[in-house]
Amino acid sequence: MRKSIYTYAMLLAMPVIAIMTSCEPSALEPEQVLQLAGEQLEEALKNDNPEGYTIYNFNDLMDKFMTEPGNFMSDSSQYRTRTHYGNLYLFSVDTLPTNGPGIYIRGRVGTDDYGGNFYKSLVLQQVNDWMDNEKPIEQQCLRVSVDLGSANGQYPQGQEILIRCNGLAIGRYANEPQLCIPTYNNNIYANSASEKVGWAAGRIPSSVFRKVTFLIGTPDKGKLVFEKMTLAQLKAKYTNDAMSKDVVAARKIDGRLVKITGVHFNGKCNNNGDMVSLVKYDPETNEGNPEVKDSYAAVFAPTTGNIGYPQSRYVEDDDKNKILIGASEYARYAYYYIPSKKHVGSITGVLGYYMDNPKYAPDATNWSITPCNLGDILPECQREGMNPRWVPTEWKAGVPQPEDD
Amino acid sequence: MCLLAIGLTAFADTSLKGRVLDEATQLPLVGAKVLLANQNISTTTNGDGEFQLQYLDAMDEEVIVEANGYMVELVLVNLRENQSNEMEPVVLKQDLVSQQQDEILLNLTEEEMADDEGRSQAQASTASASTDVFNSTTSFAWSTARYRNRGYRQTEESYYIEGLNFSSQERGQFNYSAMGGLNDASRYKEVLNPMEASNFTFGGIGQSTNYLMGATRYAQGWKVGVAGTNRNYKARLNATYSSGLMDNGWAVTAQLAYRFSPYINQKGIIGEGCNYYSLGYFLTAERVWENSRLKLITFGAPTQRGQNAAVTQEVYDLTGTIYYNPYWGYQNGHVRNSRIVKSYDPTFIAAYEWKIDENQRLKAAAGYHYSMYSNSALNYYCAPDPRPDYYRNLPSAMWDAQIANPYYDTNADQLYDKNGNPYGWGLFIGEDMNTIEMGSGYTAADGNLVGPSINQAAYDRQVSLWKTRDDKATQIDWNNLYAANYANNLNNGVARYFLERRHNDIQEATASFNYQNTKYDHLKMTLGVEGRFSQGIHYKTIDDLLGAKTWVDIDAFADRDIKELASNSGFTQSDIEYVIQNDLYNPNKSIGTGERFGYDYRINMGHLAAWFQNEWTFNEVDLYYALALEYNSMQRTSHMFNGRQAYLATIAYQRGTMYLGDDVDQYRQARSTYYGNTHHFVDPSFKAGVVYKINGRNRLKLNALAETRAPYARDSYISQRIHDRVLDEIYTHDKAKNLKDFYAASEKVVSTDLTYEFNYPIVRGRVTGFFTQSWDGTELNGYYDDEARTFVNQAMAEIDKRYMGVEAALAVKLGNYFTLTGVASVGDYRYTSDATSITSAENGMPMTQDLATKELIFEVRDKVLLKGLRLSTGPQVNASLKLSFFHSKMWFADLTVNYHDWNYLSVAPSRRMQGLFTGTRTDGTAVNGWFGDSYSNAIQTTDSRESHAEIDENGNATYSANTVLDGNGVPVLKYPYNIMTMQESLASTNPLYRFTIDASVGKLLYLPNRQSLSINLSVTNLTNNTHFKTGGYQQARLPRAVRQGQPDYQNSVITANAWKYPSKYYYAWGINFFLTVTYKF
Repeated sequence: MRKSIYTYAMLLAMPVIAIMTSCEPSALEPEQVLQLAGEQLEEALKNDNPEGYTIYNFNDLMDKFMTEPGNFMSDSSQYRTRTHYGNLYLFSVDTLPTNGPGIYIRGRVGTDDYGGNFYKSLVLQQVNDWMDNEKPIEQQCLRVSVDLGSANGQYPQGQEILIRCNGLAIGRYANEPQLCIPTYNNNIYANSASEKVGWAAGRIPSSVFRKVTFLIGTPDKGKLVFEKMTLAQLKAKYTNDAMSKDVVAARKIDGRLVKITGVHFNGKCNNNGDMVSLVKYDPETNEGNPEVKDSYAAVFAPTTGNIGYPQSRYVEDDDKNKILIGASEYARYAYYYIPSKKHVGSITGVLGYYMDNPKYAPDATNWSITPCNLGDILPECQREGMNPRWVPTEWKAGVPQPEDD
Repeated sequence: MCLLAIGLTAFADTSLKGRVLDEATQLPLVGAKVLLANQNISTTTNGDGEFQLQYLDAMDEEVIVEANGYMVELVLVNLRENQSNEMEPVVLKQDLVSQQQDEILLNLTEEEMADDEGRSQAQASTASASTDVFNSTTSFAWSTARYRNRGYRQTEESYYIEGLNFSSQERGQFNYSAMGGLNDASRYKEVLNPMEASNFTFGGIGQSTNYLMGATRYAQGWKVGVAGTNRNYKARLNATYSSGLMDNGWAVTAQLAYRFSPYINQKGIIGEGCNYYSLGYFLTAERVWENSRLKLITFGAPTQRGQNAAVTQEVYDLTGTIYYNPYWGYQNGHVRNSRIVKSYDPTFIAAYEWKIDENQRLKAAAGYHYSMYSNSALNYYCAPDPRPDYYRNLPSAMWDAQIANPYYDTNADQLYDKNGNPYGWGLFIGEDMNTIEMGSGYTAADGNLVGPSINQAAYDRQVSLWKTRDDKATQIDWNNLYAANYANNLNNGVARYFLERRHNDIQEATASFNYQNTKYDHLKMTLGVEGRFSQGIHYKTIDDLLGAKTWVDIDAFADRDIKELASNSGFTQSDIEYVIQNDLYNPNKSIGTGERFGYDYRINMGHLAAWFQNEWTFNEVDLYYALALEYNSMQRTSHMFNGRQAYLATIAYQRGTMYLGDDVDQYRQARSTYYGNTHHFVDPSFKAGVVYKINGRNRLKLNALAETRAPYARDSYISQRIHDRVLDEIYTHDKAKNLKDFYAASEKVVSTDLTYEFNYPIVRGRVTGFFTQSWDGTELNGYYDDEARTFVNQAMAEIDKRYMGVEAALAVKLGNYFTLTGVASVGDYRYTSDATSITSAENGMPMTQDLATKELIFEVRDKVLLKGLRLSTGPQVNASLKLSFFHSKMWFADLTVNYHDWNYLSVAPSRRMQGLFTGTRTDGTAVNGWFGDSYSNAIQTTDSRESHAEIDENGNATYSANTVLDGNGVPVLKYPYNIMTMQESLASTNPLYRFTIDASVGKLLYLPNRQSLSINLSVTNLTNNTHFKTGGYQQARLPRAVRQGQPDYQNSVITANAWKYPSKYYYAWGINFFLTVTYKF
């Protein structure tokens, strides 16, 4: 009898349990979600492009489709102001053909937006065989501007992606090339708004970007190549004066992933082209900068009042070669004090030259490296047991800057 | 009608006895209402279907017999003086139409249970069991339009089962899903009109319903049925068995109902992307003794169903369907819905009735139920928002404040509308999205500028993705979410996306006693006592990690939002690491599937009530009054100690606010449960009524009620997931030293209604006028705030409301087969005061900053300008004309034409804050970012402000120096002179679309051996009107933009883009049907 009751109870309970448990499709396995690879990829591309297709490397894409002043507006004055340097347009846009053969680029995501230093943009590093060659060809990188917050959540660092570019645009923003679409900015909430009103390279709508982007394989940060060099080597190769004045050549250098070694912060920043000390003036020693009033001045990126421009701090090597280290005020480490001169190490990031200000002739002092995270800055000095060890310290109101030991 | 022969027995007074039977089964009907029309005396049948009326006047009398689910029967009798008159049994025919409508209604209300964010359409009133002409017609006919009786929310109605209160003590609502699909089980009920005298409860300003589930009520035998529908489920199988009263004194009834629908893999139809599985069970046993009976009842309906959502008009227009559902997407080719409700409310009731003697009856009942209700939702961290209809994914986002700015060069950048007329840029930006032909854009004079801020080709492409319902763009891309997680598994394995399940369970133990005494002539005394202990149980679990290895228990919102504002809000990154913890006792806890995280708290609620009622019945007048006294308590306990609460507690001392209870030291000790303060409330109620019987066929009824009511726990805590902080009014109450303070938190209500009722053989009906005023109500809203850039809670108090109107019903018999019924209700339900409010960020960060003192403000206090706005509780003008057909060979049919109007959008309080209009909040702080201050820049000029100045009552232009203007110089809202024009009407501009037509047809076949077969088809919205908005709400999020060059908290301005966060709407389903076939044997 007891067994019988038990059986009936179970019979009644089974449908209850069945209903209260999940009726969802079975979980996806990794191989089911990672789209396209190898022959599959080629097959898919053939099917999607009856008129044929080309996977361009980034330089070829720029060479073929990027024009001066850009094909989008016949009247170049419709581009935002500060649009040109000499006859070279810094904010132009070229739209890519919507129809016809497929136009593709294939790259590996080189940036990570978790740290808040990159926002709605990805930097892709060209994927080809150059890494395995004994004599590697130059790396190629391209920024992708996409209206997608926390984009790395779906396109993480190291992820290889393929983008069908038809209908999109290749443009420049402050001379930095990027895959984009033309956007109009009336900038009514900005100071000095009239300088920024007009068409420029802008963010690809998220739904469009998702539609044209395909993941290839799993992310592998190890396959990203950060060119390791000293500041002197960097300067010799990329950021010398000649290169800096060659605005067209600079476009193909922008976005490269580099790791510079043997540098330290010199306690100075770039203020409209001038190198300015961030150290508060000390009347007793008569040292420091009288213009520095805020106790947080010596952090990576104090607030700009939401103007949103990146802020730069100089690093230099023993030979006084210098480059800027960029940070956004929205970076997680924005309010960390910059390390003192005694901490010497490497910095990893994206090489760039944000050329939005033609008031100043381009020169080597305007190049910058933008790290993704705090861990990209002097990582050796952040490690336990390394000497001299840098312990990143955050500014806090009313608390004096601790001694940097 | 015929004058029935009746048996006579010499007796001291004139009386009438009789019995009511079901025609099909010839079994007695319990609870049927028997009314003598001329003398206006009524009673109900007992467990044997018998009734008796005494002290009657000798005369020719019309006996009207009504029962739920049956046709009304009218019998003429001749009552002989001083005789015990006995009627032939009255046989009632089943009313297939109303039975089916009951079932549809039950399904409808279950489906629309509020989600855990409290956002849902208004539920239709469901008092269909009432034999009142008005209620019985409107409950179904107007359910499509989400009509609410007298404009009251469901919290004004009370629901009982066998005398036990089953309305949630925490939210005030009844859990319909508890009896989902159990149409037979829930068939028998008493419905009490507002404020009328009652047998089972004190009642209130809304209707009260008491479900009666004793086994003897159900007809003996089997009943099996199948149903098909194109509504939220597709089919239903149903079986009911009732033993009838057996020789051993027991009766047993059981029902099983299975409703199901697999995932709907078709776009543009009702229920797209939804599934539905529900198994309802019901078992009742009743033991009958000579003077008493015991009922044992259990039921439940484990249910799992996918949900759909209200979306903006833009999305409806783009997708071309009112059935678009953003909650689902394809997972490896299979439909999957992200919002799956799971509900199960096993209920146990024991009820005992004792007829002490001829004049005294005692009912006692006890019950327990554990309501499990949970809803799944996608959560995400360090990844893009996965919702396809997230505003940034819509074409309208491309218009965001980026439209060419003619301010600088009007001639060059002039925009033109489709007719080639210059477009005033202020008007242009304020244009209603409804009138924009998506994808068309506007061409500027230079031929290049278009409306959207992106090039036309890209814009068109985005529009095209929506118009073609591209799977990746317009639905959840489950594959993509898995891919993101698998990718991150190579990093730290923490989920980028996961499906969480938000549990809002409640367990309740309840008991009631009801004593009735009719010892004294003409007087019936009723005494009721009820006690209840409820515990709301709220927590989250991981439903599915979507391929990720784990989730770390932090508040993703807090991490995401605070980091950007850290410097301005005084947070350091190490502060953030602390604040984002959901449980400081288990920081950064790794969470797996099925484990609790986020929050885990209880709301303990006590309730004790006693009420007393005296009813006098005389020939010309009936009188009654009733008194009640209620005690309620609430206390929050938490099993987690989150970082936001801890952080806020550290500043509590400075600000004198209470995020913790009195015993703050509890938090300094590691203990598993924290007990918050208990809040106690005592509230009295009084009601009275009189019925004046003009004659047997005409009567006047007047009822009145006055009461105070404790706030519901749901509305009492300003951020109950995070901390203990309650409304200021409750603190005032807690520390009260006088009566005014003691009732500071209680809502005060007065209500009255006056009814004229008539009842003739050919025509019957009523007209009722009603008026209700309430003061000091409370309400809680949660939303994403653009200025604070985080999710905030807004607790409102001191809300006054008024409900007044007229309802009327008239039923006319047209010959033997037809009845024409007309019903109408015209109401005026609105706020009669502004409200006070406290707005605070759920992640614990400051909301804003005092511009003068620079002090960070964690709780924003301001007035909400609600006065004069209509309540969004369904249409306030409703009318129906219904033609019913009944043939004695058991054919049924009806056709109903409905009209609805005066239906208003639910207003977002955040858009009506006083500070937006005056520049200063009620707490004295200045609103950041209003135009015209010392930070003014190129956005605005005095000229444009004046050109858009408000017009005051005298027609003079005026504007306040602090008036908030949008980017075009238009005051954001023009309070108070044209406040009514600012509340959006949901009624279609085309009057034809305010009509709906319903029809039904049925046939009952009697078979040998008391068997029967019934077939019924009900078709709702016959004309497939897909333009009928039933409800909607303003998004609380205000479109703001950052003004460059200002520090945070001083830089936020309301943007010109009125479309950025537009309202969301619910539409009535187009044509839908419900077909049932039932076999009884």
